[in-house]
Amino acid sequence: MDTNIKVFPRFQPFKVIIYIVCIFLAALSLFPFIIMIVNSTRSTPEIQGTAVSLIPSSYLARNYTILTSKDIFDPIRGFVNSIIISTGATLCSVYFSTLTAYAIVVYEWKARRGFFTFIMAIMMIPGVVVSIGFYKMVYAVGLANNFLPLIIPGIAAPAMVFFMRQYMIPALPLEIIQSARIDGAGEFYTFNKIALPIMKPAIATQGIMAFVGNWNNLFMPLILLTQKKMYTMPIMVSLLKGDIYKVEYGSVYLGLTLTVLPLFVVYFLLSKYIIAGIAVGSVKG
Amino acid sequence: MKRFIAALLCLAMIIGCLTACSSEEKKDETTTTAGDTAKTDDSASAGTVTTPAPDEKKVINLWSFTDEIPKMVDRYKELNPSFDYEIKTTIIATTDGAYQPALDAALAAGGDDAPDMYAAEAAFILKYSQGDAAGYAATYKDLGIDVDKMIADANISGYSVAIGTRPSDNNVVALGYQATGGCFIYRRSIAKDTWGTDDPKTVQDKIGGGSGSWDKFFEAAEELKAKGYAICSGDGDIWHAVENSSDKGWIVDGKLYIDPKREAFLDLSKKLKDNGYHHDTQDWQEGWFADMKKNGGVLGFFGPAWLINYTLGANCGEGDDSSFGDWAVCNSPIGFFWGGTWVLANKDTKAKNGVAELIKWITLDCSKTGLQYYWANGTLNGEGGTKDSVASGTVMDMSDGKLDFLGGQNMFDYFVPANAYANGKNLTQYDESINSLWRDAVRAYTGGTATREEAIANFKQTVKDSLGIE
Amino acid sequence: MKRKRVSYAKYGYLFSLPFVVTFLVCTLYPIVYTGIIGFTNLKGSTMAFTDAKFLPSLGQGLWDNFVDTLKAPTFHTALLNTVKMWIINFIPQITLALILAAWFTNNQKKIKAQGFFKVVFYLPNIITAATIGILFANLFAYPKGPINDILLQLGFIDNPYDFSRSATASQLNVSFMQFWTWYGNTMIVLIAGILGINPEMYEAAEIDGANGNQQFFYITIPNLKTMLLYTLVTSLIGGMQMFDIPRVFQNGLPQNATLTATLYIYTQAFSGTYQYNKAAAASLVVFVIISIFSALLFVVLKDKDEAKLHKIIKQQEREYRKKVKLAKQQLLKEGR
Repeated sequence: MDTNIKVFPRFQPFKVIIYIVCIFLAALSLFPFIIMIVNSTRSTPEIQGTAVSLIPSSYLARNYTILTSKDIFDPIRGFVNSIIISTGATLCSVYFSTLTAYAIVVYEWKARRGFFTFIMAIMMIPGVVVSIGFYKMVYAVGLANNFLPLIIPGIAAPAMVFFMRQYMIPALPLEIIQSARIDGAGEFYTFNKIALPIMKPAIATQGIMAFVGNWNNLFMPLILLTQKKMYTMPIMVSLLKGDIYKVEYGSVYLGLTLTVLPLFVVYFLLSKYIIAGIAVGSVKG
Repeated sequence: MKRFIAALLCLAMIIGCLTACSSEEKKDETTTTAGDTAKTDDSASAGTVTTPAPDEKKVINLWSFTDEIPKMVDRYKELNPSFDYEIKTTIIATTDGAYQPALDAALAAGGDDAPDMYAAEAAFILKYSQGDAAGYAATYKDLGIDVDKMIADANISGYSVAIGTRPSDNNVVALGYQATGGCFIYRRSIAKDTWGTDDPKTVQDKIGGGSGSWDKFFEAAEELKAKGYAICSGDGDIWHAVENSSDKGWIVDGKLYIDPKREAFLDLSKKLKDNGYHHDTQDWQEGWFADMKKNGGVLGFFGPAWLINYTLGANCGEGDDSSFGDWAVCNSPIGFFWGGTWVLANKDTKAKNGVAELIKWITLDCSKTGLQYYWANGTLNGEGGTKDSVASGTVMDMSDGKLDFLGGQNMFDYFVPANAYANGKNLTQYDESINSLWRDAVRAYTGGTATREEAIANFKQTVKDSLGIE
Repeated sequence: MKRKRVSYAKYGYLFSLPFVVTFLVCTLYPIVYTGIIGFTNLKGSTMAFTDAKFLPSLGQGLWDNFVDTLKAPTFHTALLNTVKMWIINFIPQITLALILAAWFTNNQKKIKAQGFFKVVFYLPNIITAATIGILFANLFAYPKGPINDILLQLGFIDNPYDFSRSATASQLNVSFMQFWTWYGNTMIVLIAGILGINPEMYEAAEIDGANGNQQFFYITIPNLKTMLLYTLVTSLIGGMQMFDIPRVFQNGLPQNATLTATLYIYTQAFSGTYQYNKAAAASLVVFVIISIFSALLFVVLKDKDEAKLHKIIKQQEREYRKKVKLAKQQLLKEGR
């Protein structure tokens, strides 16, 4: 109790500063969403007149009509396609990155250090370099208009392996694995049942990031998926903007809002791991 | 362990699938070679109009960057139930420059999924009609279209034909349906306040419309300034006119060339800014749109008919703030065109007749049931659509371009002759990139961040480094 | 279950196999492809890869594309811009993220609604770069835009200021956007890292009477080193590849002030004359530069964990083998 009394008055003004900073940053972060949602209720001329406004207008229904009448924007189909790609790619990258990191951290094999250096090196390859060749390859192999070329590459996500490794070193005590072995558990079983749960916070964090990245990814899907029934939501939105003479901004913003909504859901679902902060260390001991 | 083996098996399957696909790819290549031999046969008979054999397939792959042409085709199917082709539409937006690489790859790949019919926008049509990718295009003649006679009958604007003609064999491979010759679209009330009249002839005379020089335009700007008005919104407004009036394009004999008239844009722009003749806005940005409203204080904008429909009409404001009906059209000091969409066919298409029928209807049919008649009168999907200026002069003569937005003026009176001023001879396939760099150089000079020499030197260096054109 | 000796090495190979195979197919092949292009004359949107020729066969030097790239003043500008904009964004980003992470994980301060704050700070990362670029372009619009309106009303300026014409303002804007999209992300990574630190260490420190600051500097920072290194390296790599925000915001303008290295590569490959060969050469140059930077970082912040890890694993395997051996002997004895 004594220490509490001593500490209390010192901490109070500091806490106020923390709250002020946090509230300011929160406002700054929410700002674009508010603009986006407000703009999806405004007409195109209104938006072209003043792009940034906090006062909603009454064009939401009309924007939705324009959006769907264009015959391009099919929210349900776009949603399903985006979900398939994003979930598939995210699961691939999260699972296999953890597995790869596990291979680097837990086992001693000859090529281990070389392999890690190699992962570090390929992380530095600019994405554009890969995209030129990858896109030509997909077309050559005849896998255009297929979801696989957008999902499978997720398995080799060097940056995520790096993250998982960095996280795993302090968080996954080798003694646990050791004891599992002694209990007779198979290596693959140990990974799935012991390592994966310990890595949950890291998986959630990286999962969100990968999901968001895949969901918002435009360039690759745009050139690899050319059939209407394969379009993802960002492709649909980009098509609304593609008409250079006449862009219906109201419906574009509505499209963007609809695109972001599922992300919100996924984000808030996974965010409990971030907020609650499942204490990794508690497994130790 | 079982699950791990399962995962490995999956992976093996995927790899197997990849290799399987690549062997299929080889099969595809052989079919393409077969197509190539067929093509040589065709070119042997080129020059005379042939009636091709019935189509091998009843599917047309249509590639476009907006839904405009696909919608036309849908409408054609509705109007002509006997047209029994299945249309497979691929729309890829020009956003992020994605349309061209995808189209190029699909054209190069060939096979049944290759585009049979594709659209190109003014910014990159030259690549497909005259430039690197012109070899993929079928001549309209090979499609069985009596193109010379039909162009004459429909009186298609010369620039549209010039842009769509492939220089290697001097054949038409692409035509548009719009005519995008530009005029000066001005505010009646501001003209009246300054010169006592809103009559197009007088205003045209005041700004030097059709004179081919900017001298009178600047005199008018001075008069307007005295009344507190700007003659135009930003320097981007006059750019299209300047660009199109130059004698040569950006590239002459494979080298970067700055036409004296384009170089003079530096001075024109500087003069406009230093004297406060414009509001220094940038096209397609807030300030530019705001100048279209009642209190915009800007005499006018340069543009084709689509600018009225899509931009001015949509942004003229509402209620008390609206400038609707306060507009009129007169000739621009220098003729120009801006935008437009051209339609091409793949030389290897196996649905020649179907493609030819659609292309004919869209680009050359000058009857009252042709696309262009509907397009000009805004009746493609029933009465009351937006009217636009079209490529066929014959159609324009039959059509009525009266707009309430222009206070009842018939816009075709000015837009039809304007198409004749337009000139397709000074375009290059790199215009989009080079124009944006040039506009930036000019902005740096007028804004005082670079001298005239620096601006030009930076421009040349950037074009050399990023585009590989010296 | 008769194994002569227990070796887990094969699992190392097995578990990294999916990664390696995917990498070979989806990344290495395209890169080799790109790499080869760098030595050819492949350009123009329609030239097939099979038609491309190596430069020496055309009487040119093998390294000509690389030499041209390295000599191009625009490429130098692009590299400098990239480094400049990355530094201006990264320093405030890591500082703020670290402070926030420390606040939110501090058991003594107990910030209320911290779940809300954490979730909200990450949000800018959810919106696409395209949307952010357009939003900022509109905010700073000239001659009429929200920022200009505010500055005019407050009397800071007499005439509207054209931010898009100023090189400094444009670069600062890009840096700010970059900072603002990523600080939440970095914060979350660091929080995950801090939560990964054994809480017993904090408990012990509390018992020893260490205050928040002491805990932060003596426990959090040293234990966060691997994570900080991760953040620094990934941010550097991401920063050197900065692309979509500058592209959507001003596409390299004004006067190449927001032209980044990747944007330069992209412009070469996908616009104008489609110079795949020069773009390929430029991307390899960027690759080398990033590698050098990262290698330097690793030397400076020496990754001691790796060596430690090596030792521990070896030792454990030895112990384990011993144990198994003992157990077997035990079994054998009992069996007898």
